[in-house]
Amino acid sequence: MNLKELTIKQAHEFLENREVSSVELTKEFLKDIREKDEDIHAFLSLAEEEAIEQAKKVDERIAKGELVEILAGIPAAIKDNILIRGAKATAASKILENYIAPYDATVIKKLKEEEAVFIGKTNMDEFAMGSSTENSGFGPTKNPVDLKRVPGGSSGGSAAAVKAGFCVYALGSDTGGSIRQPASFCGVVGFKPSYGAVSRHGLIAMASSLDQIGPITKNVDDAAIIFEAIRGGDELDSTSVHREWEDFSNPIDIEEIKIGVPREYFTHGLDKDIEKNIRAVIAKLEKEGVKIKEISLPYSEWALAAYYIIMPAEVSANLARFDGMKYGFSEIKNSKLKIQNLLDVYLKSRGEGFGDEVRRRIMLGTYILSAGYYDAYYKKAQKVRRLIKAEFDNVFKSVDIILTPTTPSTAFKFGEKTSDPLSMYLADIYTVSVNLAGAPAISLPCGEANGLPVGLQLIGKNFEDVKLLQIAKLIETIIKEDGHA
Amino acid sequence: MLTKKEVEKIAELARLGISEEEKEKFAKDLSLVLGYIQKLSEVNVEKIEPMAGGTNLESITRKDIEVKDIADDEMKADILNAAPDKENGYFKVPSILK
Repeated sequence: MNLKELTIKQAHEFLENREVSSVELTKEFLKDIREKDEDIHAFLSLAEEEAIEQAKKVDERIAKGELVEILAGIPAAIKDNILIRGAKATAASKILENYIAPYDATVIKKLKEEEAVFIGKTNMDEFAMGSSTENSGFGPTKNPVDLKRVPGGSSGGSAAAVKAGFCVYALGSDTGGSIRQPASFCGVVGFKPSYGAVSRHGLIAMASSLDQIGPITKNVDDAAIIFEAIRGGDELDSTSVHREWEDFSNPIDIEEIKIGVPREYFTHGLDKDIEKNIRAVIAKLEKEGVKIKEISLPYSEWALAAYYIIMPAEVSANLARFDGMKYGFSEIKNSKLKIQNLLDVYLKSRGEGFGDEVRRRIMLGTYILSAGYYDAYYKKAQKVRRLIKAEFDNVFKSVDIILTPTTPSTAFKFGEKTSDPLSMYLADIYTVSVNLAGAPAISLPCGEANGLPVGLQLIGKNFEDVKLLQIAKLIETIIKEDGHA
Repeated sequence: MLTKKEVEKIAELARLGISEEEKEKFAKDLSLVLGYIQKLSEVNVEKIEPMAGGTNLESITRKDIEVKDIADDEMKADILNAAPDKENGYFKVPSILK
């Protein structure tokens, strides 16, 4: 069996037809991880016993002739900022090195109901802050396509695990591109649902008005399957939305589709070979009868600046909970430090437990929210966010989806951007607007440039996730026919 | 450009311990990012309302009742056991008042 290509649908059929058991499948993945993950480092921890135990349960049900859910018995990898009860959840931070989750995230609860098998927790940038996994407190993940290059981030471990064939699918989280950018760098599918579509309960918070959990998969069908499994309103996340969703399997007419191509996403900084790939797909779509319209999103010029105000502001508030007293790394009992009061515990524990990028963003947020700067920075950024959202709403009056490159460059080399934080931030230039608007977006593999995967991003209107996935599936088929991927 | 003194002040407000060498590095890094976000001064936001969240939902409430999903006894024990210092079912912290 080719584990690298194995999709959810295929795995489910293999299990149902008893061509393979869930235990065999799980052991096969674990064997591969043990042999190859030393080089890639996609995982921070494995759950071998628990995975096999769960796989056995599914096998017993299948042996009895019971019908099982589509995700039953299928091995998945979970980003390490999503809580699985009884398993470590470090968010790749030293401050949570020994933290064991006391409850399940809602998405995990939902996947458990479908009897999914959790094979391990994946590496990431510390607290999801970064675009390369180089900010992980436990060493970077390498891109399975080229070990000298980063897998992207922050969900780099999840994207690498899917690409390397260490799991059938993975969960990631996306605050400014953290699912789509690594999916693009590794050549897999990454889907960020609309803000509010998936419960964030049990996701270690980074920036609460931007964070969203989503799948990283081998194709669009699988992304739709996971989205169906994890979406839905949740009492434990008051920003999640209860609604009826359309049926992904309904047919759509290619000649009815209108796609907007924003000229601002093809200007300065875009790699010429990436542009060539994306333009070739656009030409192909037009030939198939899709209506292509050039559009303009002028405020996207300021999206990254607005993002680097709103995100750190929320980060500084969210990460205040790491106080060295309730859980996580603490200097409270370090006798060498002469801890005398509460402030000492905070300063020492947080100073030692957080990495550079995390401290940078906490300080940035603290500064931005401090008296005298709040209006000039934070309030201004929130107003620009409104303009960005309005601009998307306006464009979606005349097009169904927006098509752009996912990233301005392909996967870069280790160390290339670590000395200059700003150059790293620019890796997210095409993805952050989507989070500010709360819109759904997906990155699809779209051939190669200089031997490295290229990602094509499709952006949908808020809560038109299903329509976005349907169109994405059509485009995926066209890209594959064309021999791009 | 932020001064070392300003970085010290911000770090203290953020409750972060940073070393002497780090102060200079953070001053440089933060100034770079602050320089970049000044870009927003180019945008005219007159009469625009700030957008606070990711959805249009407002003031979502739930009944204030104990739900077993949130805390069973085993979970309570796990939560408390994660604390570095505790006593009789409470988190133990250094004195606040002298």
